[in-house]
Amino acid sequence: MTQAVVLAAGEGRRLRPLTHARPKALIPVANRPIIEYVIESLVKNGIRDITVVVGYRKEQVMRYLNTLDISLNIVIQDKQLGTAHALGCAASSINDRFLLLPGDNYIDYDSIARIKSENNAVLVKENPQPSNFGVVIQKGEYIERIDEKPEIAESFIVSTGIFSLMPSFLDAIRCGTDIPEAISCFIDGGASIRAIPAKDWMDAVYPWDLLTMNEKLITKVSPSRAGIFHRTSIIQGQVRVGKRTKIGPGAVIRGPVIIGEDCNIGPYCCIEPGTSIGDRVSIEPYTFVKDAIIMDSVSIGSHSRIVRSIIGEGCILLDHTSTVSRANMIEIEGKLLKPEFGTILGDSVCSAPFTTFHNCIIGNRTVVEVPGRSLYHMVPDDSRVV
Amino acid sequence: MCGIVGYIGPRNAAEVVIKGLKKLEYRGYDSFGIAVSSDQISILKKGGRIQESFFNLNELNSGLVIGHTRWATHGIPNDTNAHPHSDCSNNIALVHNGIIENFLSLREDLLIRGHIFKSDTDTEVIVHLIEEFYNGDLLYAVRDVIPLLQGSFAILVIAKGEKRIIAARYKSPLVLGIGDGEVIAGSDVTPILDYTPDVIFLEDGDLVSIRAEGVVIENSHVIIERLVTCVDWSREDARKGGFDHFMQKEIFEQASVFSQAIRSVDYEALKTILSGVKEITVVGCGTSYHAGMIFRYLTEEFARIPVRVEFASEFKYSPPPLHGLLIALTQSGETADTLAAVEIAKNYECTTLAITNVLGSSITRVAKNTLFMRAGPEVSVAATKSFIAELAVLFCITDCLSEGELRTQSLDSAHKAIEDALLIDIDPAVDLLKNAGTVFFVGRGWYYPVSLEGALKLKEISYIHAESYAAGEMKHGPFALLSEETPVVAICVEGPTYSVMISNIKEVKARRAPVIAIGNKGDTDLCAVADVVVTIPDTPRVIQILTITVILQLLAYRTAVALGRDIDRPRNLAKSVTVE
Repeated sequence: MTQAVVLAAGEGRRLRPLTHARPKALIPVANRPIIEYVIESLVKNGIRDITVVVGYRKEQVMRYLNTLDISLNIVIQDKQLGTAHALGCAASSINDRFLLLPGDNYIDYDSIARIKSENNAVLVKENPQPSNFGVVIQKGEYIERIDEKPEIAESFIVSTGIFSLMPSFLDAIRCGTDIPEAISCFIDGGASIRAIPAKDWMDAVYPWDLLTMNEKLITKVSPSRAGIFHRTSIIQGQVRVGKRTKIGPGAVIRGPVIIGEDCNIGPYCCIEPGTSIGDRVSIEPYTFVKDAIIMDSVSIGSHSRIVRSIIGEGCILLDHTSTVSRANMIEIEGKLLKPEFGTILGDSVCSAPFTTFHNCIIGNRTVVEVPGRSLYHMVPDDSRVV
Repeated sequence: MCGIVGYIGPRNAAEVVIKGLKKLEYRGYDSFGIAVSSDQISILKKGGRIQESFFNLNELNSGLVIGHTRWATHGIPNDTNAHPHSDCSNNIALVHNGIIENFLSLREDLLIRGHIFKSDTDTEVIVHLIEEFYNGDLLYAVRDVIPLLQGSFAILVIAKGEKRIIAARYKSPLVLGIGDGEVIAGSDVTPILDYTPDVIFLEDGDLVSIRAEGVVIENSHVIIERLVTCVDWSREDARKGGFDHFMQKEIFEQASVFSQAIRSVDYEALKTILSGVKEITVVGCGTSYHAGMIFRYLTEEFARIPVRVEFASEFKYSPPPLHGLLIALTQSGETADTLAAVEIAKNYECTTLAITNVLGSSITRVAKNTLFMRAGPEVSVAATKSFIAELAVLFCITDCLSEGELRTQSLDSAHKAIEDALLIDIDPAVDLLKNAGTVFFVGRGWYYPVSLEGALKLKEISYIHAESYAAGEMKHGPFALLSEETPVVAICVEGPTYSVMISNIKEVKARRAPVIAIGNKGDTDLCAVADVVVTIPDTPRVIQILTITVILQLLAYRTAVALGRDIDRPRNLAKSVTVE
């Protein structure tokens, strides 16, 4: 029976500040943690023997996994020493062909179905930025090698990091710290790994990638009207509203939109397509939100405009907050990029009225004390803007 | 107290009952046993913790079994005193949770009539009495016996040749799970939820005939219908799910337990209960008493309403003239002393409000109003998440009484603060504590009850003697106990108590006791005086109560792990103390 090992021990450093309070696998996209999509795709394919390797903020991950209906094996990687080491921690529970997947990438049911009966295979996909991933060099339908994050990519086909492997692979994991190194060893040792095209696969490398992911995944959300709707509110399209959420008079919600529980969407707010709002969020009147991920317990003041942005947990943004979506040069871990987005706010950011965020990443617990400020570029955690 | 389980239906009843007893182990774990009904009644029982290997499940193929896990009250824990107990002819078997107060006089009567007693327990009198009245119908016999018993009981009885269980409840909890062609009876819902979420909470005076097809309940000789409730605790709540101990799992659940408890309080109902309240009395035992003390500091500061806090067990020795509100804190809802305190309060002109975690528990019937903590089942004997949940509900009460003063201290930031506190490295502190023979905890103001709770947790699970003092009191005697071998844990965070605590720590250091201080980030003065400093995240003052509580719980937990203790089942303790 095919087993599965899901690697969820890493932080996801390139997604900071969002990964301070949660590992990448638990970041909510369309109001579901990324790892939930992975587990769902496995379970829908009939795979029941699932081991999850946890490490960074392991108690948080374990608590979340306990809320799922399916019973999982949990293995703890005490020190984050690489993905090959993480798999090694789970080695004792592997006794058959197994799927190896990262817990923080979206993968759909069909892709898993294509690979689950293969003996040694990897799911591959075309990607416009191959140097962020492992580029696959193929020989026919088998892989010759995988080049990890190459300066110059030889092709646009990358490895999704999702493999179907025989237990003999476990001998190769001692070769290096990461799975791609182990795969090279495995191939050198004579194994043949087939390249299978994946259907839907998404890896958010940087925070703004989450917005693209959110846009795609929110279309799969099933509509529901569990909240309390004022009779003059206007709801159009695929909209899902959680229990006890109040939608005020004159509010307009155009789907696809998902809103969690215990929220308060004030009068005359406009929630536009591509927006995911968590639980206990309060949005004051006359605020416009579009193409955004708003996490739990956020409070957004009136007359605000939040577009193409991510607002971390517990942020309190006072009235007239603006986000200006631009594509400016930004450097993350030595790489120069020009992504287009409004703002990425970490957790517990507090801002005074009339704050404008121009294409910036704001660290956790930043406080903008004075009204009327404009913020640019990157602001570190625990900053005070005066 | 004890745990009882009974099953009738198509499954392997012994397997269901044994699994159920393991779930109820937290109610008592010094001996166990089951009675299997097939052609005759076979009883298998033993002293000590439940060992599944003791039973050969293949040979126990029956659809009708009752079982018991014991916390001894009368009769030492051993094989003979373990339940189930049977009558002289071994045709009737019974399990019992509770105490029969008049068992000595009943026993004398039965001895005169020629009955032979095998054990020293109070329970055995019940089954011999049933034998006296038995004339082919177990229900009639039990019905006649019940008026003769004084005390508390939840019993399950089976007889040879009868394909049913007779159950009765008086002052001890008993829940029936109604499944499809099967019924499971248990002292609480945890053994039942694996099979069905539909339960009936029995009331005092209920007498039930349980068959696989269904139950017939009577009370005071009249057949009645009881409401079937659907329990929303998932079965995963009662599993460890990757954590090493239930206590660890429950400590880490506290961030969401706190926010859930805050959100689940019905403010409108609360305003009605609290309207016109000018004084409050709080009763509780152990950890609940500490929660009451914290409530007192907060309510007196923010709402300016006088609060008195009493040990529930002491309450009956000096009942104050009562007006106003009595708040009873009990996680299980079954704590005997707290129940008695509420009964006393009802005799005066007092509104009673219970705060508990268990739906359908005894306190919900006794108190006029109830607020639920909604923390999910707390399996570990030491209270952790139930304390946080109690604080959440009490904070809401203070907030309501102070007209929103407390909320402006942003209770909403509690969730993140607790999450951050759970990740703080406390290993240097654990290293200091694990070799200690005595530890002192000190705090001032509302951190004094926090330190009381910290000391209690350390005592309970690591078996290290720990005591807590209001820091100002140390100099009036306890200082004589200080030496290099007595570490002191001091809560020294910013606020009105800070500067005087620093001086206290200096005095303690002068007596050469090692000091572990809980303080704020960047506090260089503290780092200069204390041996180990544990820094808490920056939060409003009220939230510091929660973060420090969580850190002290983890300190106790990690110390106990370092010492190899039986964390979820500490020696000599039971989860809910249903005796005085």
